[in-house]
Order: sequence, then structure tokens, then C-alpha cells
Amino acid sequence: MSIDFRLPMTDDLGFCNVLMSALGGDGANMAGKLLYKIGCTDFGLDGGFDARYGSEKKGTATDVSVRFCNLGTPVRQSGPTKRPHFLVVFHDDLIQPLDLGAGMCAGAVCIVNSEKSPEAIRQLLKLSGVKVVCLDATRIAAESRSRLNMPLFAVLCHELGFSDAEVMRIIKAQWPRAADANITAYSSAVSQSTSQTFERDELFSERPVPLGQGPIGWRNMHNGGTIDALTHSTINRDNRIAGRGHVPKFDEGACISCGICLTVCSDPGGLLWSEGRMKGIDEQYCKGCMRCVEVCPDTKKGRALTIDYA
Amino acid sequence: MAALGICTGVAVAGGRVVDVTSANGLLLKAEQMPAIAGLGLPMVLNLSTRDVSAPLNIKNGHSDLYAALGWGWLVFLAPTVQAAYDMNIIAIRVAEAVNLPAIVAYDGFHTSHANRRIQVFADKSDVQKFVGPSPFKATLKGENGRFSLLDMGHPRTFGPYMNDDLINAKVQMDLKFARAYELLPQMFREYAELTGRSYDFVQQYGEASAANCLIALNTAGEAAKDAVDDINQRGDFANLVIPMVLRPWPEKEILKAMGDAEYVIVAERASQYGASNYLANEVGAALQRVGNTATIIQRSYGIGGLNFTKDDALAMYQEFSHRNSEVQFGEDQGLISLRNPRSTQSAKDRPIFDFAPQKAYHGAWAGDASYDPGATMTPLTAKECTLNAGCDSKVNLKVLSAMPSRFDKHTACPGCGIFTSLNLFLRGIDGHVCLLFNTGCGMVVSTGYPLTSFKVPYFHNLFHNNTSTATGVVEMIKRFKARGDLPEEVTVIAVSGDGGDDIGMDQVIGAALRNDPFILFEYDNKGYMNTGAQMCYTGFKGQKCSNSHLGSNQTGKRQHHKDIVEILRGTFAPYLATCAESHPVDMIRKARRAQATVRDGGFAFVKTLSVCPLNWGMDENVGPSAVEAAVNACLHPLYEIEHGNTRISFDPENADKKIPAIDALMKMGGAFSHMGKPEFADLAADLQAEVDRRWKRLKTMASIAEL
Repeated sequence: MSIDFRLPMTDDLGFCNVLMSALGGDGANMAGKLLYKIGCTDFGLDGGFDARYGSEKKGTATDVSVRFCNLGTPVRQSGPTKRPHFLVVFHDDLIQPLDLGAGMCAGAVCIVNSEKSPEAIRQLLKLSGVKVVCLDATRIAAESRSRLNMPLFAVLCHELGFSDAEVMRIIKAQWPRAADANITAYSSAVSQSTSQTFERDELFSERPVPLGQGPIGWRNMHNGGTIDALTHSTINRDNRIAGRGHVPKFDEGACISCGICLTVCSDPGGLLWSEGRMKGIDEQYCKGCMRCVEVCPDTKKGRALTIDYA
Repeated sequence: MAALGICTGVAVAGGRVVDVTSANGLLLKAEQMPAIAGLGLPMVLNLSTRDVSAPLNIKNGHSDLYAALGWGWLVFLAPTVQAAYDMNIIAIRVAEAVNLPAIVAYDGFHTSHANRRIQVFADKSDVQKFVGPSPFKATLKGENGRFSLLDMGHPRTFGPYMNDDLINAKVQMDLKFARAYELLPQMFREYAELTGRSYDFVQQYGEASAANCLIALNTAGEAAKDAVDDINQRGDFANLVIPMVLRPWPEKEILKAMGDAEYVIVAERASQYGASNYLANEVGAALQRVGNTATIIQRSYGIGGLNFTKDDALAMYQEFSHRNSEVQFGEDQGLISLRNPRSTQSAKDRPIFDFAPQKAYHGAWAGDASYDPGATMTPLTAKECTLNAGCDSKVNLKVLSAMPSRFDKHTACPGCGIFTSLNLFLRGIDGHVCLLFNTGCGMVVSTGYPLTSFKVPYFHNLFHNNTSTATGVVEMIKRFKARGDLPEEVTVIAVSGDGGDDIGMDQVIGAALRNDPFILFEYDNKGYMNTGAQMCYTGFKGQKCSNSHLGSNQTGKRQHHKDIVEILRGTFAPYLATCAESHPVDMIRKARRAQATVRDGGFAFVKTLSVCPLNWGMDENVGPSAVEAAVNACLHPLYEIEHGNTRISFDPENADKKIPAIDALMKMGGAFSHMGKPEFADLAADLQAEVDRRWKRLKTMASIAEL
């Protein structure tokens, strides 16, 4: 089935570019593939789906590109887009470290999973002349028992101008067993998002994506790409993005320093021990798997490691 | 392959090493060859050229040599037995000067098995003086840009995972070739002064002004010299060019040697099937770049060891001198004449290469030469990492909390079992540790360039030859210790996933049979998890993998799980064990036993079950209880085998914890839990029967002292 559909924006090659910025495991890849598929099969478009493939694991920042064009436009470029018309951000705390506002086209639409206001998000994106759409996709996904990618996918389709009814029909057919959850998520997302359009102003202007060329190049790379552990350790890296702030709560009073948590932690530098006693958790290490919570023993004073649901 | 893996281990530790191979042997090493070049490890490989199978032919041919041209190795050619001897000495010197490996290629049988009267050095100190002292003589500190893995005071990560920076590493490789091209003339001169034997990029023989030129490699070039003499005696002229260096490609020297030739016969002991031949293409391109319209004539000869003599060379000269007189080539029928002006690119930001005009890299970057981020950590000392000495069987987790972690902040998925198990195991290992990783999740999430998670020396070589690499490293430890350069003990631990021990099984068995003193630690997550959860041999029958589906025609994996410990039992290695994070005290004890085994000069293998929440489809927090359940179900029994004698470490029956396999599988996520459904009852029963059979067998072996 083909529907008469016009791309809302295109670049000089005739492409409307979508970039989804997410963490491994968020389902951005699945959402991008589905978007591309329905664009081709149901909305009469052509284009390309390009994911980043490499060392990214669950919890690590990654991105997915979909580029739409009208059927008949030659599809010749490959690889992820650096000039998105639509940006979908799965977690608002990705915006600053990755400088997601860079490379955005004028008139672009930024769809962000956030409890913040569009104005606050625009400040993080450092953009003007764009539309910012905010929705609490995490909450919507939890309430509808869907996944995080579904509410964001819904708003993206909506903003692209895909017919909501048509997309919902396709989703139902694609995952019949999860149809109710997905449809609830879809309609909640579309109805509960808030958006604001920002005129072009002096405060922020368009900026290109940096080349990504680090200070090490062919002139100063060590023989064979060897890394000096003393100067290039991951020790100062902040893993909080992967942990998403969900780290165990530690009650030192209840802790008997049995050491069992040390035996199940994947990155135990994050369990702060000093002189044989457990002192706390370094959030820059913790990815929030909660293995330690599972093994932490009950003591007279309760459990030292618990999940803070607040 | 294993031999070259050992050489890689020796070289990364700082040793000087030479290997020898031929034909299919070279292709078997093919994966390791570019890795050695990419790692910047100097060494010499003697290639006794032979034709690559099939049909199988063991005789001379250059199909192996041509396969290796693009692998980043310096390539020297030795036309005579004397040259094979001499080139080996010159090659070591230039390889170590530029940190690239070198091939010395000579003709299989024609040279490799020929007996000739040659001159050798009477005094080996003359050779040592020419090539220079062994690398890292009396120090393990870096020199000439090369580092030793065993510099414990300065831990480095060798062989990291690299994304966008890779192109810069390749620029560096080409720059090394450029440096070799600069250095070689002086080295050839010095060698000539020392021995009276002169070598150069190219040997030119006969008349450079002759209209007809033959280019031939190695023995064919030697044989053709007699043909040139013959032609001379008949009052005619012929030119002969014998390249002796192919990488760096000596374009200017070859062009000069071809002189005024109008017809260039490029004779090659190989054919590039479906295209013009290798050397012919390179010579043709060289001619074209200087606007020389000489005609290239290609002749494949001597394939499969067919002899090439003076008469063959004469026939070739004859053939094209005949063409020369009979066939008239018009101006427009010659090769395209295109004069390419030399590039105006600045060498500052974009290096250009004299040996390859017009070659440059697009998209590489030079980096900031003044960049110096400063140290962010201090190396671990053997003292602070020594907690277990004398503890024997007493394990106190509180005390072990003081063991510094040997790595920090990787990017593995939350709840991943790899680094949990490895970290726990390492708490039982005293002193300096050197970690060698096979390819897999473990290496990818810990060494993304330019940062490393490892605080101890680390090396990733290939997917499957970690154990061979470890053999090379422990050999160098022995040697450095013997000469007093490595006073402290270093325990080498090779870390592999179950996949590395699938495709590297031959090399694991080899290391066990050689009884080399290192620990092989396997994290078994029952699949090729780094590449998308494909099936591996250790997976359970019925397990759902990305290539063993559940459906009307397939019910997951078809075979029962591989038992690597039982496979290794037959090697009678001194220490084999299984361990699990759910039994930490047991794991620490086994780590200590493994280290004690290594201290006694033997090989130790320890395997752990490592959960993969992502691909098993389990919650991130359930790893510990899922592993415990697998142990209690005897899906992963805990035991050890010392010199063939079995001891069960934990008997769930005695502890009253034995559970059916399916109870454990239900905890292990969607890759296994379907077996609990009624339609898979037969499959679950089949798996249970196999688990019971193996457990009973294990208990029987443990109950009889002689077993």
C-alpha cells in the first residue's frame, strides 16, 4: 500500500535525515529499521538505514541514521548522517557530552525523552531556529508496558507526517502479541508530548559536527597503536551514562563488610573499600546492574545494599 | 600459524625472532602476518617460495610470495644461497631500525635445498656488530619507538581495539617503508664494506641501453645472466633486471635499471588468474608514471617448479626480439603516455612516499605533537599485589578486598560475567600479572583506542592464537630472567572466551602438551556474543542462538555441550579446573593452585561459566544466582584435575542442593528457558540424561584414586 506522502524537509541531495542518539540496548536500532521499512513499504519512499557498528555494547552511546528520499532519487551516500533534520534523543543526559546540537539543519525537529521543558532542552542543545519536542518516554513506556523506543518512535512518525492511524496499524500487525502495549504507548506519546518552536536568534547558531580528529595522529601515535596505560587509562571516564543514575543505595551501618559484593561486581573499583571495610559506591563506575544488591546478606541492621526506587 | 603466534609473543615481549615457512604454511599464517606488521613488531620470516595448492605441488612457485605483498612486510629477494644468507642479516637490521617485519624470499628447492659453496662469517661478533645488539639489551625500557610488554614498571596495552584512528596507524606503516627505503642504501654499503658482497634494490645485468629487457626474480634472474652473456658473445645486446627488494617498491631503481628498453618482458613464476600479472602491473604503472611507453610483455613461467634455465631465458629474449622486428607498433598502439606532474602536496600535513609517486592518504590526521596528557595512574607494584603468599587454603574475602583491581572502567554490558569472573580470579593471583586476550567482548570493551582499562601489561593478538602468543611471552620471561633483566615474577594469564577455545582448540592443546608455564582462563558464555550470539560448541543442546533457532524445523542447538576440560584431560597437563563466581572461595583457591602450577613450570587451565544477560535474555542482576543454579544442576560442575587425577570441589548432592537442569535453565534467560515448556520436554529430558551421565562419570573418576 502506498500513501501520497511528502517529505517535510530535504537536503540538497533530496534526503530527509533522521538521527537517533541512544544507548546500546535502548532499541534505537530496531526503531530505525522499522522506520525505514515502513517508509519504504507503506509511504512510497526510498533511502537508507545506517547504524553504527563497532565496539558499542549495552549501555554505551550509539546512534542510528535513517535517510528518506522520494522513490527515484539515487541513493548513493552511505554511513550515518551528520546533518539531521530530525534528531531523536533517547536520554537527555546524552545531549551535552555528545554535543548533539552540532550539525543540526535549520528548521530541524529535536525529539527528546526528558522531563525537562523544550526551553531547557534547547539550552542544552545550544540551538535556535528549531522545534523541540519533549516527552517523558521512560514513564510512558513503563506505564504502557512497552519499550522506550516505542513512544519516541511514535512522536518521530508523527512529526515526520506519517499518518498515526496507518503507523499504528503496521505496529499492530508487526507485533500482534504486544499490540495493546505498543498502541497505548504510541497514543500516549503523541498526546502527552510538549513542543516549542524557537526562532533563529543571536544566542545560538548552526555549527558543524567536529571532525572527530583527536590529538593523536600518525605523527605521535605509538608504534603499532600501543596505548600507554599510565597516561591513557579509562580511570577518569564517567560511566554514569550507562548507569543512568540507577546505582544501589548503600547503608554503611548495615554493612558487615563480608566482601561478597566484591565477588559479583564486574567493575569492583567502584566499590569503595578501605582497610577491609566497605565505604560506599563510586557512581562513575557503576552501571546499575544490581548484582551486588542481590547477594548482599540480611544483617541485624537490615541490608547494606538496596535498590533506591525513589 | 601457532609458530608465528609464538614469534609474535616473543617479539611483543622484546625478543629477536626468525621464522621459516612456505606456500600453504604462509597462507595458514596469513591472519597473523598483517597483525605483526600492524603491531610494528620487527622479525624475519624466511619464505622458501612454493606454489600454493591445489592441485598439491610442493615445488617452487611465487604464488605464496605474491599473496604476501600487501601484508605490510618488507620483502627481500635472495636469488642465490649466498644471498639468502646475507639478506637474513641485512633484513634483521632494517626491520629493527624501522619496526617492521621482513620477509626474505628465496626459491623453494632451487635455493632452499641447494648445496652451494658460500662464504659465511667466521666470527659471529662481526654479524652482531652489523645488526646491532639484541633489542632491550639490559633494559626493558622502550627504545627506537618499540616497547616491551614485560616492562612492568610501565604497563602498556598492545593491540587495542581501534576505530577512526586506524587510518593514522596505516600512515605510520607507510612512513616506516619510506624510512626503510632511505636507510637501505647505507646498510647495503656497510654490508659490502664488511663482506665484499654488494646488494642493492635491483641488480642490473647486461646492457642498460639494450632495446630488450628481461625482468626476472630470484633463480630465474640468475639463470638469465648466462643468456645475456650468450647474447653478448653473439655481438648482440640484452638487458636483465633482477629486483632484490619488492617492498618498499624500488620504483626509481627499477626504472633506471630498465634503461632504454623498448620491450620489457616481465617473467613471473606465477599468474594472477583473470588479470595481468603482479609484477607486470607494477612495472607497467611505474613506466606509465614517467611517461615511458615501453611495451610490457608478460610471461608466466616455472609454475610448480618447472625449471628455468639459460635456454628458457634465451627463448624469451628471442621471442620478443622476433616481435621487435616483425611486428610494427604504431605510435597510437603503445601504452598510454601520461605525464603526471609530481605532487605539490606539503609533506608536513600529508606525507608523500618516494617509493610510490602520487600516493597519499585522504582523511588521516597528523595529531598534535605537543600533546602530553600526563600520567593519571602509577603502575601496580608486586608488593601491593601480594596478599596470598603462604595463605594456602585459607581464603579471607575481607583481606582480598585490598588486592588492587588489575583493570578499571570497561564498557561491558551491565551484569556481564566476564570481568566479574576475571576480577575475582585475579584476586587470587599474587604479584605482577600480564594479561593476553583473545578477540571477543572482553577485549573490545576494555581497550577502545586511545584509552585502556588495563593497569597491567596487556596484549591482544588474534581470536584464537592467544595460547601460542603466551608461549612466546613466557619464553622471553625465562630469557630475561636468566640474564637478570626481569627480577620480579610475572604471571602470564591468557584470557579467552569459549569461542577463542573453539577455533583455537588446536593451539590450546599444543600449549597444554608443551606444558608452557602460563594460565589459560576461559570465560564460557556459551556463544559468540561479540558478533551477535552465534552458536558455539560449549552451548547446551536446545540453546537458542542467532543461528540455531526455535521453530518448526529447528529446536535450538542440535548437539550437547563441549567439555573442554575432558578434552584437555588427555594432555595430562598438570592442572585443569572449573570455577564459578557463585563459589568465590573455591575460585580463589583454584587461582592460587593455578599460579603454583605455573611457578612449578607447568600449564594451568581454568574455566568459568560467564553469564551474558544481553544474549541469554536474562535480567542484569540475576547472574550470581543463575551461575549458582547451573553449578547445583551439574550443568557446570566444579572440579579439578591434577596430572589426570580428578577431585570434585563441590558436590551439590552432598550439600543437598542438587536441582534438575531445567530449574537452572529457567533462571538463565530466554536462550534456555523455553526448554521448560511442555513441547520441549523431550529435549529437556535428553539434556538431563546427558548431564546425569557426565556427572556420574565424573564422580566415578573422582572416587577412584587411580583415575
